[in-house]
Amino acid sequence: MSRSLSPTWPNRIFGKLKGLQIYALISAALSLSIVLTIIVTLFVQSGPVLLAENSGLMSTSWNPDKGQFGVLPMLFGSVFVMIIAVSVAFPLGLLAAVYIAETRSSRLRRLIKFFLEMLVGIPSIVYGLIGVAHLNIWVADIFDLQSGRVILTAGILLGIMILPTFLTLTEDAISAIPTKFRENAKSLGLYRHEVFFSVILPQAKTGIAGAGLLALGRALGETMAVMLVIGSLDRLPSPLFNPLSSGQTITSKLGREVAESAFGSVHFSALVFMSLILVSITVILTITSRYLFRKTPENV
Amino acid sequence: MFKNFGILSLAVLLAACSAPEAIYVSGSSTVLPPVSKAADLFSSETGISVIVNAGGSGGGFNQLAEGQSDIGMMSRNITDGERDAFKSFNFTEIAIGRDAVVPSISSEIYDAGVQALTLPQIAGIYTGKVQNWSEVGGPDRAIFVIDKEASRGTRQVFMRVVLGDPKAEAPGTDLVTGSNNEEQTALVQSDAAIGMLSVAWLNEDVRGLAIILQDGEVVEATHENIQAGSYPFVRDLNVVIRGDVKPPAKEFIDYLLGPNGQKMVNNSGYIGIAN
Repeated sequence: MSRSLSPTWPNRIFGKLKGLQIYALISAALSLSIVLTIIVTLFVQSGPVLLAENSGLMSTSWNPDKGQFGVLPMLFGSVFVMIIAVSVAFPLGLLAAVYIAETRSSRLRRLIKFFLEMLVGIPSIVYGLIGVAHLNIWVADIFDLQSGRVILTAGILLGIMILPTFLTLTEDAISAIPTKFRENAKSLGLYRHEVFFSVILPQAKTGIAGAGLLALGRALGETMAVMLVIGSLDRLPSPLFNPLSSGQTITSKLGREVAESAFGSVHFSALVFMSLILVSITVILTITSRYLFRKTPENV
Repeated sequence: MFKNFGILSLAVLLAACSAPEAIYVSGSSTVLPPVSKAADLFSSETGISVIVNAGGSGGGFNQLAEGQSDIGMMSRNITDGERDAFKSFNFTEIAIGRDAVVPSISSEIYDAGVQALTLPQIAGIYTGKVQNWSEVGGPDRAIFVIDKEASRGTRQVFMRVVLGDPKAEAPGTDLVTGSNNEEQTALVQSDAAIGMLSVAWLNEDVRGLAIILQDGEVVEATHENIQAGSYPFVRDLNVVIRGDVKPPAKEFIDYLLGPNGQKMVNNSGYIGIAN
């Protein structure tokens, strides 16, 4: 059909490629170049702090005015908050997914999933405000603290935020197991829990792991909600695994300080270096979850 | 067809760029209340819209220096480091009012009898040497120490007076907040906290401390004491402009210094520059 159209300028340049193809090609190239630009920028901008003397990157003290840029408290905070979030979200999400997928009708399942997916779309600042208004005060009351702006609050809030993502993907993974497996297992005389543990779970587990990794990625990257409730203290908790002390994550540190640092300064560079660490972790998580997802469905 | 589309999108882009001119103001949340009140009046009188955002003194300076805003609000002076980072521009500080930074405590502690402290006592609290209110005449309760982000003007004024260095570290800190708003909320939510607030932010739940000077005189954060400069933590509230300031922004600053602007400074709980 398109051969009958008169040649337009893109055809003259790109030969036989049609307009739409060129458009798609340009889009793909743009996306790729954006990713590359980000990564190259992060590396280049990290330079000054890596070259600076006595910047103490792997120390615990952060004081830009004295040229000290210890990222350990932030790195530790990010990982600690992520672990709390995961231990809140994963058991809840997994059990809820099993309940929805294995025991409820498909109509109810669709309804529940509709609301869950709506939860995924709520802006994180809204969760943050709820955290400041309620969660923060509950945590302070329960543990008799002077302020609920602590690592635990941030972890719980983040757990609530990643729960819908994890739940809905886990539920997908479980529901994707063909009915014939269930029926065969039942016809062999297995109980319902035996069907689940010895037939469904082994097949769905890569999908579940993938869901977990995606949720982890979201937990690591979350900024606003965490920033509002974590207390912004650039110090390792004492004792180290005390979730009831204030802390700082990489993202909350960036959120607080990036506007305060002059572009191109060592201070700015140290902030970029922290984002580089964060991006590296999320890239590894994404690649791993990609790999798991690819292996999931039919070929088991 | 491609050409038409191109021209159309270009037209849309240009239309978006040439939106009516506005004055962008950003920076210290301490300076913000009078400026945003004056901005409303100014807009209704002149039709020029003024957009006022918080972000802290440091952020206010950086946005101005990088050309993202027309006026920066700062509750401290521009540091040498900041001037050095943007050598190609000239910056002018203009004081629009006076304020005091007040060491503030939860009302529970105030009512229990801690109403005035010496500067060394406050320094002890922030360095972690004093950890219980009973050590300074209060109830037997651990002190919850609230600090602010290092770049905040309020903190730099406070630390300069208490610890002798605007950038001093405070190892006694339990929590770090950003804006006055956030600091005030944290103080209200606690019943044994100490923090630092601009005088305009004090209320029934957050009480300001009087300071016991070396000779034993007790100075409260009253308007008279702030105006006379006898309260130790007095500072100027500044707006900052870059050498290449646009005429409407200049006009707005004149308005801030004029009778209506100064009235807003007083209404916000600060002391006007004229009186």
